[in-house]
Amino acid sequence: MRTKVTGAVVGVLAALALGGVMLPLRAHLSLATIALIFVIPVVAGVVIGGRPAGLISMVGGFLVYNLVFIPPYWTLAVGQAQHRAALVAYVITMLLVTEVVVRLEEARAAAQTREGNARHLFEMSEVLLGDKSIPELGDAIVHEMCQTFGLEGAALLVPVEGRLEVIASSGMPFAEGEMTSLPPSERPPVALSTSTSTASIQTLALSAAGRPIGLMLLHGLPDDPVGRELLPTVANHLALALERAELRERVHRVELLEEIDRLRDAMLGAVSHDLRTPLATIKIASSTLLDPSSSLGPDDIDELYLLIDVQTDRLTRLVNNLLDMTRIHTGVLEVRRVPSSLVDLVTAVTTDIAPMLEGRRVEVDIPAGLPLVDVDHVLVEQVLSNLIDNAHRHSPEDGLIVIAAERRGSDHVVVTVTDHGSGVPRSERTAVFETFVRFDTGGRAGLGLAIAKAFIQAHDETIWVEDPPGGGARFAFTLPIAREVHERSA
Amino acid sequence: MARVLVVDDDPSLRRVLRVGLRARGHEVSVASNGEQGISQAALLSPDVIVLDLGLPDLDGLTVCRRIRAWSDVPIVVLSANDAEDRKVAALNEGADDYVTKPFGMAELEARIRTAIRHQRVEPDAPGGSVITVGEVSIDLVHHEAHIKGAPARLTSKEFGVLSFLMRNEEKVCTHEMILTAVWGAPYARESQYLHVYVNRIRQKLGADPGLHLRAVPGIGYVLTRKDE
Repeated sequence: MRTKVTGAVVGVLAALALGGVMLPLRAHLSLATIALIFVIPVVAGVVIGGRPAGLISMVGGFLVYNLVFIPPYWTLAVGQAQHRAALVAYVITMLLVTEVVVRLEEARAAAQTREGNARHLFEMSEVLLGDKSIPELGDAIVHEMCQTFGLEGAALLVPVEGRLEVIASSGMPFAEGEMTSLPPSERPPVALSTSTSTASIQTLALSAAGRPIGLMLLHGLPDDPVGRELLPTVANHLALALERAELRERVHRVELLEEIDRLRDAMLGAVSHDLRTPLATIKIASSTLLDPSSSLGPDDIDELYLLIDVQTDRLTRLVNNLLDMTRIHTGVLEVRRVPSSLVDLVTAVTTDIAPMLEGRRVEVDIPAGLPLVDVDHVLVEQVLSNLIDNAHRHSPEDGLIVIAAERRGSDHVVVTVTDHGSGVPRSERTAVFETFVRFDTGGRAGLGLAIAKAFIQAHDETIWVEDPPGGGARFAFTLPIAREVHERSA
Repeated sequence: MARVLVVDDDPSLRRVLRVGLRARGHEVSVASNGEQGISQAALLSPDVIVLDLGLPDLDGLTVCRRIRAWSDVPIVVLSANDAEDRKVAALNEGADDYVTKPFGMAELEARIRTAIRHQRVEPDAPGGSVITVGEVSIDLVHHEAHIKGAPARLTSKEFGVLSFLMRNEEKVCTHEMILTAVWGAPYARESQYLHVYVNRIRQKLGADPGLHLRAVPGIGYVLTRKDE
């Protein structure tokens, strides 16, 4: 409005000024020259104030031209016919000039708008194209919408199990009432609903290929035709970006399920191997013993009985391991700590599994003065026995296994089980503790180490594997030292 | 009776196989991993190899393939799971038979005997053009088949399947092996063809032909002489 007034004032003043300047020269200037000079105020008016200002300037110019330069002077009356023709020509020319200038001006403004829109869309697509998860994308969208459209607030809602839920919002929070007053969004149109503009909130439905994707709430959308023109396109962009993110998450989920399937197959294969190998040994031994045609010496018979005995223990341990693994996975593992002597623990384990070790030498190196440890002795015995079993299976037949312990700091003991096998490559030091990670081709399940790790972690302690000097593998874990038990005095 | 090489990483299984096979009169040597197994196979030239598919250093299938590269010593594989694809793969790699853990001594012994017998028979097979199993005889040169003395009308593919199985009597032949031999490599996966043809062959053989044409589900077929 202000530009229109300014334009009109400038146009009229310019006409008056030009009239004043040309007044002394009126005898020397032709009417055509003067009419040409009066184009200036009209153009000035239309450029500044548009069509209305141009028209007012033209009227001003006409009056000055007529009153000052067309005889008889200082009246609106026109004496000669040629003067009348000059006035008509002036009016027609000025109308045309006004129209041309206005159109040029409009075209320039439209080009500017288009450029602005293109820039906004480009900026928006930069944000939308990145490889983002749905929550990240939601945050980016509301932020960008607020920035681009100068909103007071924005929220993005997507359907979750049939209900719309806010996944991201920015700026001014929406009141509970404003949310619930929204129209149901089953309709999928890409449209700016103006019907809810009462609370200065507007909704923008997002859909892709006719499928509803979500809804945007826009708070305080400025009354700007350029922005409004842009909204449907932006809605399309947003819907496509959200759909893309959604599809990507679905693909990830499917991949995850496939991975779980693969691991489960690997585990079944590995467990099957671990169970069937001792069963095979037992079955061969028993069927040989039962076969009357076998020619067996007394030593052979003893060996077969021993093999059955040892393999039965192995199966028992394996079944225990499987049960332990189930306890760990179902979260029913309970740690019952009591002050325990490490020497007693180790002795119990080595005595228990001696037959399984088939005469292998095991050296125990625990200092006499080592304090008691505060542990669940059942779990720690299982850890030790799994580690010794692992060392036994990965060592050459005459390889020595060393079980050692030493105090570390004021409140911990480190226990180690060292073998002389081939060692664990640096790259596999985490994986050895993971169940069935490396065992795709039907190898062992490796339940023992996974259980050892879970039991040590249940004590809030750590377990790891390292290179001992001289080769082999050294599995080590920490245990907490029990607090001093003071004798109760009477 | 036979010199057996046992390739297995499990010490107990090695020990029990050594005692069990010796008790049945075999001479036993053992290897605890794939590389050792391959070199023992070359050094000792055993009559049969008992090979566990799950080895720590090399995949059992690789061991099988590498031994097959220079030797046709019979190989009986020990498989730890029911997964058929591993057994099929082993048979395709040249293994003669498989046993699934756990197994009794009698079962292993039977597989070993069959593998060895098959090995001994095979060199003669190309010489004699007529193979007879039970009441069925086929003439490989003249492409003729006789059942209980009467000529049988077999199509050329039916003849191909039957003669392949008869030449490999008592050996489990995978679908892939039969299809490749009779139809050609592009048909190696089209096992439904085979089911149709085997069904037709069984009908043409009629009742009691003195042999079994047995399907091994998921793996292939084996043709065996009917026990008297």
